[in-house]
Amino acid sequence: MNSEFLILMKQEMGVTLILFILLFLKIWDGIKENGILLHLINVLLLLNFLLGFVLNQNGELFNGMFATNSLRVMEKSVLNLGTLIISLQAYDYLKSHKHLLEFFMLLLSTLLGMFFMISSNNLLMFYLGIELSSIPLAAMANFDMDKIKSSEAAVKMILSSAFASALMLFGISFLYGTSGTLNFQELVSLITGSPLQVFALLLVFSGFAFKLSAVPFHLWTADVYEGAPVAVTSYLSVISKAAIVFVTLSSLAPLFSHLNEMWYHLLFVTIILTITLGNIFAIRQDNIKRFLAFSSISQVGFILLGISSGTATGATSAIYFLVVYIFSNLGAFGVIALLSSQTGKENISDLKGFYQTNPLMGWVLAISLFSLGGIPPTAGFFGKMFLVTAGAAKGNYVLITIAALNMVISLYYYLRVVKAIFMDKNETPVEPLRGSLSLRLALLICMIGVVGTGFAGGFFEHIYQLAAK
Amino acid sequence: MNASTMVFYILSAVILGGALLSVTAKKIFRAAVFLLFSLIGIAGLYFYLNYEFIAAVQIVVYVGGIVVLIIFSIFLTHESGRDMKEPSMISNLFAVFACCFAAALTYLFIKEEHFNATPNPTLEPSARNIGTQMLDITRYGYILPFEAVSILLLAAMIGCIVIAIKLKPKE
Repeated sequence: MNSEFLILMKQEMGVTLILFILLFLKIWDGIKENGILLHLINVLLLLNFLLGFVLNQNGELFNGMFATNSLRVMEKSVLNLGTLIISLQAYDYLKSHKHLLEFFMLLLSTLLGMFFMISSNNLLMFYLGIELSSIPLAAMANFDMDKIKSSEAAVKMILSSAFASALMLFGISFLYGTSGTLNFQELVSLITGSPLQVFALLLVFSGFAFKLSAVPFHLWTADVYEGAPVAVTSYLSVISKAAIVFVTLSSLAPLFSHLNEMWYHLLFVTIILTITLGNIFAIRQDNIKRFLAFSSISQVGFILLGISSGTATGATSAIYFLVVYIFSNLGAFGVIALLSSQTGKENISDLKGFYQTNPLMGWVLAISLFSLGGIPPTAGFFGKMFLVTAGAAKGNYVLITIAALNMVISLYYYLRVVKAIFMDKNETPVEPLRGSLSLRLALLICMIGVVGTGFAGGFFEHIYQLAAK
Repeated sequence: MNASTMVFYILSAVILGGALLSVTAKKIFRAAVFLLFSLIGIAGLYFYLNYEFIAAVQIVVYVGGIVVLIIFSIFLTHESGRDMKEPSMISNLFAVFACCFAAALTYLFIKEEHFNATPNPTLEPSARNIGTQMLDITRYGYILPFEAVSILLLAAMIGCIVIAIKLKPKE
């Protein structure tokens, strides 16, 4: 304990510290200028991100309630980077917002929850982490105070996440009842596949599927994404999803390793439904936030495909894909945030002729969509390729064929947006948008990420080294 | 059948009867009151198992807090005096099916499961022990979840205040 405790929990400590600094700034009320506050917050978030690169150490605390290793530290750094990019992108939106500090307090508490969840080695901490990362998010979905749709999004989010938590808690209680322990390491050997434990797996998996918005638990996603402010939508679709996938990889899949037959069948059905239905609904959308919501559902299907292989390569490809997905999705959301905050338009039909007036932004959006669709040479191509290759290792070609067919369908709707940007004629295209410096910086980071991650060959190897340990 | 088993069956009857009346009641306010009985029955079950602390929490939080909250919100949002709409025959039928299925499933689970797990560590569940453990940083201490819950409450309060607060319009 003592100093070891500070080092092992450094990222959690960092987030909590920033949380309290913001709380005191709110009470002090000394800085009236939102712009200065935002820059200050971004610097703090940057420092917190950098914290992931120093003093890395493996270990356990609180009798195994909290465990950390280099892979978990890296996962947390990825989430930190994503949060920083979102914060940079939200500059224009938050500059005039009355509750700027509260926005970040809630954001950071959800981030803390995700960190606890990733580091949890115990069902109790894991459950608390999930709650901490979803309840404040519902309040954040309501941050467009004067829009009724935003409130609707918040209500739908809180109800669906309460339902998911209830399912998961029911499953956890069965696990505890049959094994008498909450500790993951002790549980693994005690989960032998009695009917009650299989039922528990089903319940816990359903809770996860809710949070991941995998079909058939996806119904809340589109409404919440559409109603929430763009900054919150991007946070929901990228950061909270990534955190859940990380936990699935590091805790859930190993926990039920004795039931891997069941686990694979569950994933098999979920993957097919998720990829196919996500795609079919994405084709029909005109609102770009709804469009990205359904496209993200289908992306989750691909991530699950990588997870289903159950190997270190599968885990690595899922993590790699998530990093790429963070960059590409945030690139798209950054442009949408700018469009929405300056013109209030959020439809694909408004993007017609976008290239004539905003060539640079048009390219950024197009490259992001290319990466989401998996077109080379963007990193999205490599991400999808690794995922499908890892999924194919099981030799289930039905699954792979369906996934591959769906990749073709997804190209159609991503390219439909690109066509609207570059080729469609429009008499009254969107006027030239002027993004703030921090937004442009965020988009630059995203573009470097989208192109660079694909070519930095050592990155995949690096994750593999960490995951294989 | 000895006295202890009798008590168990009486408590179960209160819980299940309260729950059944709660879902079949015509007036929503009555449904909330029947729910109250069901929850008190569960508290009784905890007493029966000698978990006094959890029984007290059950009464304070669920019976005292949550049901009162439900009743308040019924008064605020719903015309509590009016009868609710009669559910259709089909939904009644499916509800009965669902109940039978759930009962059968539960029976099968319990029949198959041996429940030989012993809680680790075995501790007297007294309020003193629970309190000490919750703030304990040594073996089997629960200080970390305790702190995480405090952050969760802080965040929930901030969220509520932000949503509920009405700022005066600037002149």
